[in-house]
Amino acid sequence: MTTTLAPAPPAPPGSAGGTAALAPSGGLRRRLALRLLALVVLYVLWEVTARVMRNPAFIPSPGAVWDQLIRTSTEGYSGHSLLEHLGVSLRRIVIGSAIGIAGGLLIGVLLGTVGWLRVVAEPVVTFIRALPPLAYFSLFIIWFGIDETPKLWLLSIAALPPVAVATAAAVHGAPTGLVEAARALGASRWQATRDVVLPNALPEIFTGIRLAVGVAYSSVVAAETINGVPGIGGMIRDAQRYSQTDVVVLGLFAIGLSGLLIDSLLLSAETKLIPWRGRV
Amino acid sequence: MSSADAIRIDGLTHSYGETLAVGPIDLTVPEGEFLVLVGASGCGKSTLLRLIAGFEQPTGGSVLTGGAKPVPGKGAGLVFQQPRLFPWKTVGGNIELALRYAGQTVTAERVEELLARVGLHDVAKRRTWQISGGQQQRVAIARALAVENPLLLLDEPFAALDALTREKLQEDLRQVSAATGRTSVFVTHSVDEAVFLGSRVVVLTPRPGRIALDLKVGLPRSGIAADELRGLPEFAALRAEVGHAIRDRVTV
Ligand SMILES: Nc1ncnc2c1ncn2[C@@H]1O[C@H](COP(=O)(O)OP(=O)(O)O)[C@@H](O)[C@H]1O
Ligand SMILES: [Mg+2]
Repeated sequence: MTTTLAPAPPAPPGSAGGTAALAPSGGLRRRLALRLLALVVLYVLWEVTARVMRNPAFIPSPGAVWDQLIRTSTEGYSGHSLLEHLGVSLRRIVIGSAIGIAGGLLIGVLLGTVGWLRVVAEPVVTFIRALPPLAYFSLFIIWFGIDETPKLWLLSIAALPPVAVATAAAVHGAPTGLVEAARALGASRWQATRDVVLPNALPEIFTGIRLAVGVAYSSVVAAETINGVPGIGGMIRDAQRYSQTDVVVLGLFAIGLSGLLIDSLLLSAETKLIPWRGRV
Repeated sequence: MSSADAIRIDGLTHSYGETLAVGPIDLTVPEGEFLVLVGASGCGKSTLLRLIAGFEQPTGGSVLTGGAKPVPGKGAGLVFQQPRLFPWKTVGGNIELALRYAGQTVTAERVEELLARVGLHDVAKRRTWQISGGQQQRVAIARALAVENPLLLLDEPFAALDALTREKLQEDLRQVSAATGRTSVFVTHSVDEAVFLGSRVVVLTPRPGRIALDLKVGLPRSGIAADELRGLPEFAALRAEVGHAIRDRVTV
């Protein structure tokens, strides 16, 4: 995930679910210990740097960020508590990615099954994917004003391509052997799509969904640079204006840590929903 | 044509691009026969089976199953060399899906009964990768039987299994076949398997596959142990005859 701030552990990162036969990840306890160690090292580095620099506007100390956590949670910042800011941002992320994922699934299935449509529409999807979300945000502002609508549009459009591309590739590359097996059992074309092509595509679709949520996460701060309060992006923007670096860092942590949490939720959903991943 | 003909093949040829893969072939399979097609690999056995199943269209001549042009999923159950089970379904789920496609009522008892018919018990709830390769192929056979088509087509279903498992499955298939009496076409490159399973053995020439030998097997279809059957002098004679027919054609 692109937005996470948490230190990457020096040794094996959480593998992408399923069986990672090529990357044995050691014992669970060893991994936990490594991660904890990395956290401690990062914390010490941060503390030392802050003390040496003696410039809280450049690098605030961990203590200052902690104090801001307490203050924004009780008194609030820009008129809203930290939780409210985070809640609004999360709501935008959830709605935006939900729309984007639904659209991506639909478009992906169409692209994967209808040959001429793929020829026509694939470059368009790739084109949109290549654009940085901020580039089309201005357009949405002109079209939809500065309230909720353009933000949700931004997140939806940003989340759509990863799902569309993953779905189209997986649907198009459905194993002929399994499709034939279903047809031989008397499945209609539609039944074979529903019972074979789509389930077979699920692992790849899920990877696309995790990417999509990641993109939505990294776009939400951008989407909230305009009229973004309440919202973590708006909070960061306000803090930037007054050089309150500790609030900026706090906002980054809020986004990054919640992103980490959501991704791990998605991962555990994946192991539940797709037990056959890596088994075929 | 006689109404008792399950398969009727006339002047059938099939080419991939410029290369002729099979034919011309003339072959009639009466109802209830267990026909085994033997031939060296690459001689067009799979192609012939796919033509009978309706997955390929003849480039010349005709195939009729049950008096009509074959359509995939209508009239013929198919078992492939690989089990091709659906890993997102449990073992029982794979059978259920087949029953549903066939428009039959799906009950746990029916699933158990079909699995029992191929010698499997207490596996319905397992995931497909939690059973052995031999068991997977048994499930594939049960799945094909579930649909209750008049025709059963099997393309080297035991080729990827170890020798012990293969022999066990051959014996069990022989029994299932005797019990159901379904018209079957079984493809193999093993002479022993051909004579053991078939009520009729057809040897194909190397590419393009044509009929080199068409042999009735007069061995008892049931009520005889596998070892006893393999020990019969007729069994050895048939094996030798089929083996010769294949070896004569293969130029190494
Ligand atoms: N889809 C295909 N396209 C082109 N050539 C094929 C195709 N399938 C099979 N062939 C060729 O046709 C011949 C017969 O193949 P096949 O029916 O699979 O033989 P067998 O099952 O007896 O091994 C082989 O020479 C093979 O290379
Ligand atoms: Mg073959």
